Amino acid sequence: MNEAAGDRPAVRIYDPTLRDGHHAVRHDLGEAQLRAYAAAADRARVPVVEVGHGNGLGASSLQVGRARLTDDVMLSAVRAELRHSRMGAFMLPGWGTADDLRMAIDHGVDVVRIGAHCTESDVTERHLGFLRDAGVEAHATLLMSHMCTPAQLGRACEQMAGFGAQAVGIFDSAGHFLPEDVTERISAIRGAVDVPVIFHGHNNLGSAVANSIAAVRAGATIIDGCARGFGAGAGNTQLEVLVPVLERLGYPTGIDLYRLLDAADLAERELMPAPPTISSESIVSGLAGVFSGFRNRVLDVAAREQVDPRDIFFELGRRQAVAGQEDLIVDVAMSLRTASL
Amino acid sequence: MQATTTPTTGVRRSRPLRAAVIGAGLIGLDLAMKIQRSAELDCRLVTARDEDAPGLRAARDLGCRVSADGVDAVLATADPYDIVFDASNATAHPAHWQALEPLGCLVVDLTPSGVGHAVVPAVNGDTLPVHRNLNLVSCGGQACVPILHALSSRYRPSYVEVVTTAANLSVGRATRLNLDEYLATTRDAVRASTGTSAVKTILNLSPARPPATFRVAMSFQSEDMDQRVVGDLVHDAADRVRAFVPGFRVRACTVTDGVAFVAVEVEASGDRIPSYAGNLDIINSAAVLVAEQYARQQASLPGTEVTRR
Repeated sequence: MNEAAGDRPAVRIYDPTLRDGHHAVRHDLGEAQLRAYAAAADRARVPVVEVGHGNGLGASSLQVGRARLTDDVMLSAVRAELRHSRMGAFMLPGWGTADDLRMAIDHGVDVVRIGAHCTESDVTERHLGFLRDAGVEAHATLLMSHMCTPAQLGRACEQMAGFGAQAVGIFDSAGHFLPEDVTERISAIRGAVDVPVIFHGHNNLGSAVANSIAAVRAGATIIDGCARGFGAGAGNTQLEVLVPVLERLGYPTGIDLYRLLDAADLAERELMPAPPTISSESIVSGLAGVFSGFRNRVLDVAAREQVDPRDIFFELGRRQAVAGQEDLIVDVAMSLRTASL
Repeated sequence: MQATTTPTTGVRRSRPLRAAVIGAGLIGLDLAMKIQRSAELDCRLVTARDEDAPGLRAARDLGCRVSADGVDAVLATADPYDIVFDASNATAHPAHWQALEPLGCLVVDLTPSGVGHAVVPAVNGDTLPVHRNLNLVSCGGQACVPILHALSSRYRPSYVEVVTTAANLSVGRATRLNLDEYLATTRDAVRASTGTSAVKTILNLSPARPPATFRVAMSFQSEDMDQRVVGDLVHDAADRVRAFVPGFRVRACTVTDGVAFVAVEVEASGDRIPSYAGNLDIINSAAVLVAEQYARQQASLPGTEVTRR
């Protein structure tokens, strides 16, 4: 797979553009868009291309937004375009089930990540076991990882590796971390497990690339990045920046730079009305430690209820809302409106 | 004591009826406490498979006989139980039912196995007598089905969605291993009570401190819904649930863009479980209610009076 002068990739890049990016466009990507980007990423030799609803397999709903396409259609479309890259999918227990995993396996998925809120790692046990029995590469990732201490994350990752995860790691779902936070957490996880460690950044506080570098230096070897940062809230780690920065630091990725830049240009042109920016609300969201995927719903509800979206984010942070609790947004807005009367 | 009498349907027993609980997790322990409080039921055994289960020690402190032999402890007794509650694990229930069915006792299943006849007391409590295996669906099912059934009696839904959020401290290991069964069994109960197959069920675990109160948010998509009618239907249904779950509250009830959105919260009350654990309270209160209905029905049936010492 790696054609970069025989170098063995020191860092495996994992590309959730077609999954996390869905948060930015209300899960509305069409089949032609998925195909175009998947083909471009494949040409660049991106190792894994993940696809799906922003919240993963089986998550299309009023609660977090309905996807334009079914999981079935999304997986078929991307599969058809991948010659070199492997296909990834994501699933949260409580949202998707083993039936969804079976469907993804029927579509030839190569890697599946089972996600859980960082304090609830034991919910991954059954589905990790299912994937291992099915012979599919199984990763386990902890969401909203700023809500745990480094030691807690180490123990949770150790548990998930014990369930059979072949790689474990953390999502900075709120974009709350600064580089030293990441160093501490990845170091704790590296000390607890023997399997490869994953880091997935968000850019709410402008630190996603720097955080990813900190993760690699602390021993993470699977790093997530999205074209133009296409993803929830302020966006993810920008893939076409991350890769050359890693190469410059001496971490080969096996990715073709020009093809990668072409894929990013295509993504900007074909997938998004505009690349994600660090909007004022996203800064507040990152500071408050709120799931980046809440952004569009918070803005909708704030406009309808005529309350300041920044107040909603801080209150959601105070209530320790986790990914998936979108039904709380209306409650929070109503209580803020009542309080202001 | 007429030890030779087999407890089959129609045999009339004096109260209280003898009950056993399989499972000593969060649900099993709270259930044992509720059974002990009931005048109609006597909790004679709490059994689990793990000798070190903290729930077993707590059940012993309550005065229940305990065992680490699982369902075998229920089968081994010379003094058969009238009612066996299964609070173990959805994947274990089919084998438990197979072992218990020949005994003729009533089996009340609190796991989301989907094996027995689904019961939500506020909706179909009157269909119990003919069934020997009653399934309590799920905690979320107990909270949402009465509301959704009431709305469906007036409006025909095109889509229904149920999002349950439980405090992580109130969700034990068996439930965590049974998330797929939880979603499927809840979905099937919602389908049956609303008449639509377009149903999505979701479960969140909240890590918040202080712990978040058990909450079930429902979206009911239909046409021409009137806010006032929806409100009346929802509040009437909530009153029926509140008759046996006092902490059941409607937190939101709105109609926007063809979707009725109803959020309910359940605070546990009257037991040693913390107030946020309404999930335990609602399913266990429902289980005890159907067991008490069965006890009263047994007492009113003509048949051989079985007396106790």
